[in-house]
Amino acid sequence: MKLLSICLGAAVAIAACAKGSDNSANDSTSGAAAAAASSAGGSAGLTGAGATFPYPIYSKWFDSYATKTGVKINYQPIGSGGGIRQLSEQTVDFGASDAPMTDDEMAKAKGGPIQHIPTVLGAVCITYNVPEVTKALNLTGDLIADIFLGKVTKWNDSRIAALNKGITLPNRDLVVVHRSDGSGTSYIFTDYLSAVSATWKASPGKGKDVSWPTGLGAKGNDGVTGQVKQTPGAIGYVELAYARQNKLPTASIRNAAGQFVAPSIAAVTAAAAAAAQKLPPNTDYRLSIVNAAGAQAYPITSFTWILVYKTQPNAEKGKQLLDFLKWALRDGEPMAPSLDYAPLPAALVTRLDSTLATIKVGATP
Amino acid sequence: MTATSVRGSGPPSGRQRAVAERTERTIRRRRVRSSIMVGLMYVAAALAILPLLLIVIHLIRLGATSVNWAFFTQMQRPPGEGGGGMANAIVGTLIIIAIASGVGLPVGIGAGLYLAEKRVTMLATTVRFLADVLNGLPSIVMGIFAWELLVKPVRHFSALAGGIALGAMMVPMVTRTTEEMVRLVPISLREAALALGYSRWRTALSIVLRTALGGIVTGALVAMARIAGETAPLLFTALGNQFWSTALRGPIAALPLQIFNYAISPYDEWHAQAWAGALVLVGIVFVISLAARVATRRRFGAGD
Repeated sequence: MKLLSICLGAAVAIAACAKGSDNSANDSTSGAAAAAASSAGGSAGLTGAGATFPYPIYSKWFDSYATKTGVKINYQPIGSGGGIRQLSEQTVDFGASDAPMTDDEMAKAKGGPIQHIPTVLGAVCITYNVPEVTKALNLTGDLIADIFLGKVTKWNDSRIAALNKGITLPNRDLVVVHRSDGSGTSYIFTDYLSAVSATWKASPGKGKDVSWPTGLGAKGNDGVTGQVKQTPGAIGYVELAYARQNKLPTASIRNAAGQFVAPSIAAVTAAAAAAAQKLPPNTDYRLSIVNAAGAQAYPITSFTWILVYKTQPNAEKGKQLLDFLKWALRDGEPMAPSLDYAPLPAALVTRLDSTLATIKVGATP
Repeated sequence: MTATSVRGSGPPSGRQRAVAERTERTIRRRRVRSSIMVGLMYVAAALAILPLLLIVIHLIRLGATSVNWAFFTQMQRPPGEGGGGMANAIVGTLIIIAIASGVGLPVGIGAGLYLAEKRVTMLATTVRFLADVLNGLPSIVMGIFAWELLVKPVRHFSALAGGIALGAMMVPMVTRTTEEMVRLVPISLREAALALGYSRWRTALSIVLRTALGGIVTGALVAMARIAGETAPLLFTALGNQFWSTALRGPIAALPLQIFNYAISPYDEWHAQAWAGALVLVGIVFVISLAARVATRRRFGAGD
């Protein structure tokens, strides 16, 4: 009985204070300034949310940054779409996404104009399960598109054979595996297929989740990997870090320069460097770099972005965020390859430094 | 030797022997049938606990190696650096459960008592129906609702929002178990109390609630155990935190969220941590359930 009354007493006490702070929270909705103030007082440090793909490298950055400066930046991987939504509602201090925000999404953001800051690069690998083949296969963009459209159905199709002379391909059915959940990986992959195949661009198009013409769905990179491993004849796509950590077989893909390039960190950075050279002076960095020029460039690559408001209403938080971004570009980038992410090319880092200088801190939008 | 032959006084006649044999056959047949059914029941009982056993064995096999002192005392480490733990997530989960209980238990027990005392009023019928509807609500809906109400207006995620979302999920569970338990209290007990001059509210609180307390505590702890593993309502409320934080008004770490984040990552060492986290979470649920048993048994003797 004693234990129980203590329990109930504590419960009532907690309920009472929960109610108290709930009320004060409601009061503070009267003005945006008051809300910002309560948010600053409510939690020390910054909060960000968004893409799952860069979570490991971001968690390493924020961990190192906290050790070095004491500023705690909490990042949670709730998905690119979730990150954009939370930033728009201003429930987080910054967002993150694998796909650039659309004009429509930018217009809906409640805190004013948004700046995209590219942080690292990722790549999507084509992985397969053909027990008879031990060497890496060569593929081209339009062939991958036709495989995922269901037009090529056998592994010993003449078009695959023509690209892989010297490899005996089995008379095996091709089983397409794609993501069943909305995903930045699917966005990059379909963005690439749309760039290289007019048919693909017309019919399923690009997006985090498209209506796949054929194949089996699987959830997450691990789901696709599992499905491919279990199914002889399967072909699917996973992000580079995942393929490397799990030592999956990956195809070399013919790039815009006509070279077959295997996915690697160097090949991804090469793609970004080629794209960065052609960057217009007033870019907002919402650029797609699939099928980039350059002999060494791997064609299915993309930036991942941190999203921040161009005008930071809270002076203290805004300064902390900018300080972190400057640190990430200078000291964070070299950490990327250890976790299988490709760092930004040096030329782009210099340009981003000047972009960061344009972000206003502590002013009203 | 059968019962019939013992009862017979003289030498058994042919007819008696025939009856005795038939009886014996019937009894034997019934015994066989009974033991088959008992056997089937044993199999069913074993099958019922088999999934739990398999899960626990699997968790121990994959997670036990990563459960060490550091797991309970350290924060998460980035992949590639090894070590680290989920101290913040364990504490966060306990804090969230405490808030949820603070919100859910008083409301749920109060509502359950009302439903049992005022069985047939319009309000009681409505509340009972709505509680059942609420019980069937997908937990992600509760999360979105809490986000809309408690996160969006104040513009920051908070442990409070997570706790309140889970507390709201506890309310219908606790309400219904409380009602059932209070209904089990014999009417004669109430009548005795009323006959001795207790007022109705005094009867309800001191006699009825006290008698039903064992069952209510069990119901409350079962509800706590059930919400302990919820992930969906926390995604948009407590959010999660990679750092140590016990601030009720800031984002807070929680075991289910951390397990989910780690499980979908490409790194084996994070997978191992996720398994360890799952093992610890099951451990917490187990301790709560065990506490339910002990609390009921020691205090009230019944405990079935």
